[in-house]
Amino acid sequence: MKWKAIIFLGLLSSLSLAGLTQAGWAQAGEIAYTVRPTELKAKPFSDAVILARLEQRTKVEVIGRRSSWRQVQVDGKTGWIKMLSLTFNHSDRKAGDTGLATLFNVASTGSTGSSVTTGVRGLSEKDLKHTKPNPKALEVMDAYGVNKSEAQQFSKVGELSSQSMKYIAEPASGGKK
Amino acid sequence: MKTKLLLLAAMFISTACANMDMDKVLATAGKVAKGPAPVSEAQEIAMGRGIASNLLGAAPLLDNKPVQKYVNQVGRWLTLNAERPDLPWHFSVLDDEDVNAFAAPGGYIFITKGLLARMKSEAELAGVLAHEISHVLKRHHVEAIRKSTRTSLITGLAKDSLQQSGVSPVLTNLIGVGTELYARGLDKHDEYEADRMGVVIAARAGYDPYGLPAVLQTLQGMNPTHSNLALMFKTHPSLSDRLDLLDRAMSGSLDRFETQPDLAHRFTTVIGQ
Repeated sequence: MKWKAIIFLGLLSSLSLAGLTQAGWAQAGEIAYTVRPTELKAKPFSDAVILARLEQRTKVEVIGRRSSWRQVQVDGKTGWIKMLSLTFNHSDRKAGDTGLATLFNVASTGSTGSSVTTGVRGLSEKDLKHTKPNPKALEVMDAYGVNKSEAQQFSKVGELSSQSMKYIAEPASGGKK
Repeated sequence: MKTKLLLLAAMFISTACANMDMDKVLATAGKVAKGPAPVSEAQEIAMGRGIASNLLGAAPLLDNKPVQKYVNQVGRWLTLNAERPDLPWHFSVLDDEDVNAFAAPGGYIFITKGLLARMKSEAELAGVLAHEISHVLKRHHVEAIRKSTRTSLITGLAKDSLQQSGVSPVLTNLIGVGTELYARGLDKHDEYEADRMGVVIAARAGYDPYGLPAVLQTLQGMNPTHSNLALMFKTHPSLSDRLDLLDRAMSGSLDRFETQPDLAHRFTTVIGQ
């Protein structure tokens, strides 16, 4: 399963967005940590059977996502955890994990092992301060535009249907953590 | 406290009434607290086009028509499920390794190739585009430009005739301010608001609403010292704070959209071709 995913990602990175450094893939979506005591469920439903009760900061291996649930492997068990009960932040690791040492080394030497963009143009702070208008590219951008009926047709093909929902109010400060 | 504010507002309005005709007062009553020279929609669009042109001066468009069309289709569909559907919405992929996305006033949205390449589904793309769309809907950049500019410049813009051929010096100046804003970023509360609105717009458009937090978790898993993350990290609140707030906002309120599709297959078919 994991190998398939890696092969798939490898393929994806070598395809049309060619030339991309895929440094993000190797680390992303793999190891995560629970941010609170969390139940490991047999299925991605809140009323599913509980397979295990995980402590805060339990290390898990993430293998998939279905809406608000992440499928994970932990202690030889495969199950589902609410995705926002997980963090992928490496600094949230338990002390003693070797990965943390690696991270600190990177921070102190400044070397990430990945290529650094050194192009003449780009989206760095400095580039943005010295940029000049590009009206030709603006015309190309205009030509890529999509009108309302094209967008509606696109949604039909994808079987997307409009739903109604109000915006969510700003959560009160404090509250649960 | 609230009463005092109301009183103050009432006083302001009544003072204003003495100097202006009633129609004008009514038209601007909602914006009184923010200053006397609102930026019209036409001016907002002109400003956004100029800022978009500047962004395209910093990074080229990705030379891939199917990908550009696809991103426009996803984005335009999202805008049909939100306010301001008649703005001149455009969605563009910038050929740049940096991991970032930008919104310019008037409906000009940009996403970098570096960010697109780290996404896994159409719902993830929709979540990020809906976040940027929300900045435009709430005129976050326009307000930030107004706040960081001398009042005289905004007043000058109000006097500016948009019928003039070419871009006026006043507008050019504001476009410069707007472009530099990308190096500083918006107020963090604008970012949190765009996150909360973005997940709702994605849900309204029929997508799995957890695409945006999924992308934020992907970025969270990247090495934080990665040079391609530098500007995005500098100009946005921390991913942990954003995810924590999304967790509180989304908890319970989006359960009925759990079964909506993420269209991962359509996404990989277009992006991976």
